[in-house]
Amino acid sequence: MSEPILSVSGVTKRFGGLVALRDLSFDIQRDEAVGLMGPNGAGKTTLLNVIAGEYKPDSGAIRFNGNFITSLPPHKICHLGIARTYQIPQPFVNLTALQNVVVAARFGRGLGKAPAEKEASEVLDMIGLSEKKDALAKDLSTITLKLLELARVLASKPELVLLDEVAAGLTEAEIPKLLDTLRKVRSMGITVLLIEHVISVMMQAVDRIVVINEGMKIAEGAPKEIMEDKKVIEAYFG
Amino acid sequence: MDVDRNMKVPINQLRLMLPVVLVAVLAIFPIIGTPRVWLLYLFLFFVYLTMANMWNLLAGYSGLTFLGPAALIGLAGYTLVIVTWNDLPFYLGIIGGGIVAAAFAALIAVPTFRMRGIYFAIGTLVVPEALRYVFYLWKPVGGEMQGGGAGYMIKGIGELSLTEFYWLALAIGIVSIFLMRIILRSKLGLGLAAIRDSDRAAASSGVDVFRLKLYAFVIAAFVTGAAGAIFYIYQGYIAPASAFNIRWLMTCLLATVIGGIRTEEGPIVGTIIVVFLHFLLARYGALSLLIQGVILVVIMLLIPEGIVGFVRKTRAYRSLAALAAGR
Repeated sequence: MSEPILSVSGVTKRFGGLVALRDLSFDIQRDEAVGLMGPNGAGKTTLLNVIAGEYKPDSGAIRFNGNFITSLPPHKICHLGIARTYQIPQPFVNLTALQNVVVAARFGRGLGKAPAEKEASEVLDMIGLSEKKDALAKDLSTITLKLLELARVLASKPELVLLDEVAAGLTEAEIPKLLDTLRKVRSMGITVLLIEHVISVMMQAVDRIVVINEGMKIAEGAPKEIMEDKKVIEAYFG
Repeated sequence: MDVDRNMKVPINQLRLMLPVVLVAVLAIFPIIGTPRVWLLYLFLFFVYLTMANMWNLLAGYSGLTFLGPAALIGLAGYTLVIVTWNDLPFYLGIIGGGIVAAAFAALIAVPTFRMRGIYFAIGTLVVPEALRYVFYLWKPVGGEMQGGGAGYMIKGIGELSLTEFYWLALAIGIVSIFLMRIILRSKLGLGLAAIRDSDRAAASSGVDVFRLKLYAFVIAAFVTGAAGAIFYIYQGYIAPASAFNIRWLMTCLLATVIGGIRTEEGPIVGTIIVVFLHFLLARYGALSLLIQGVILVVIMLLIPEGIVGFVRKTRAYRSLAALAAGR
């Protein structure tokens, strides 16, 4: 197999006495979509924060395209090509939807004003938010904000996206649209790491699932295998 | 339709012409025999406007609730003292004051930017206090202690008249307005707005949060310092107790909040009111600070978005704006 795009090796992260991540290791191959599963408090979001540079791990290393990124600040990690969404959307509330996306296009991707605005419009079009582009983010619904997060992430032209529960809060009817968007993201050659509680989304959107519980990896494999894995069932149902 | 089209042209021309005419009128005020006291209040207006604009840049547009503008103003004032006591021209004191204030801002940015929100505010509130004690003890140009600590006259400004102070203040006031316009429409302004709304999301979108905040802080400090030095050229005297006084913060805060924080016009409207209040409350001394405080609280309770923010939400303004846009 070729060199993985992301390699997490032996990562441990403690918060005081609590060990949020315990010697966690896994790889993501280029163009792969990997799902990250685990019960509440398993450490999924913590792992995303560690990869994105918001937390420094206490030990272990993270490599992106072969380069160590463990000690880099978040904006540099974004420049290298990793972009993330937040479980609770973090919009720029006093900016319009378009400006929210322009921020990523200008700072993440380094585009000038006009090309950034063009790029942002195109991304909003793709996500299906072009009607809302002049609305202030504070006037948008939570669901729209979730999609806006996705648009912001794509505008920085990442190689790898970390998606934290993009489907949470969506209605049944909105899920196929999201799956369609995720397929488009993958067809752009973007590698995906997805945290998701909506099982149907997980099953359809990813090639492989990594399951963690109490900060440790307990299973890894194709979606079908994972659903039948004893340890996974135990972790979820006790 | 025809009416609309005819309306559009004059309103747009007016929007361009009005500032030019206004500045020209303000500039000729001192040479057409305007009463001295008027000029004095206008002088204060421009100085305070500059400081309020820079405070708005930090607190309103960058999420930096900086409670220590007095530190920048006091340091710039003392830089002016050092420059003029060394027989250098006063304008070097203005530039030097700006540079020292900017350098000081860069210095305190390193520890204070680690704090966010209210912690940053409190951290910066104590800075002028600390500096005041430094200048109680340190006599930068020697000589006898006058009053409490390092009280000094500003030297070498004898030949300057109120007309010259006035023009200096007018110039920096206009510069501060244009600077705001330029910054807010630039990449820096966009990044600062993003940081203000969510520094996490800004950083993960590629914004170098520390660097952008530092740029804003240093620019604001330079301009605030220069305005402070201009103030002390007029005042002619500086002492630690007044230079590092919380009144400077009150002025910036009142002007910005009453007028409308996070609006470009807010500090202009707010400073007019603050200077008018100074005029009205001049004879009440310490009581005036209390009255200003009450006004601040009332504004924050009734119209937290300030006068400009409030007016913008009214129907009359919206229809006027639509008219101006030719719709």
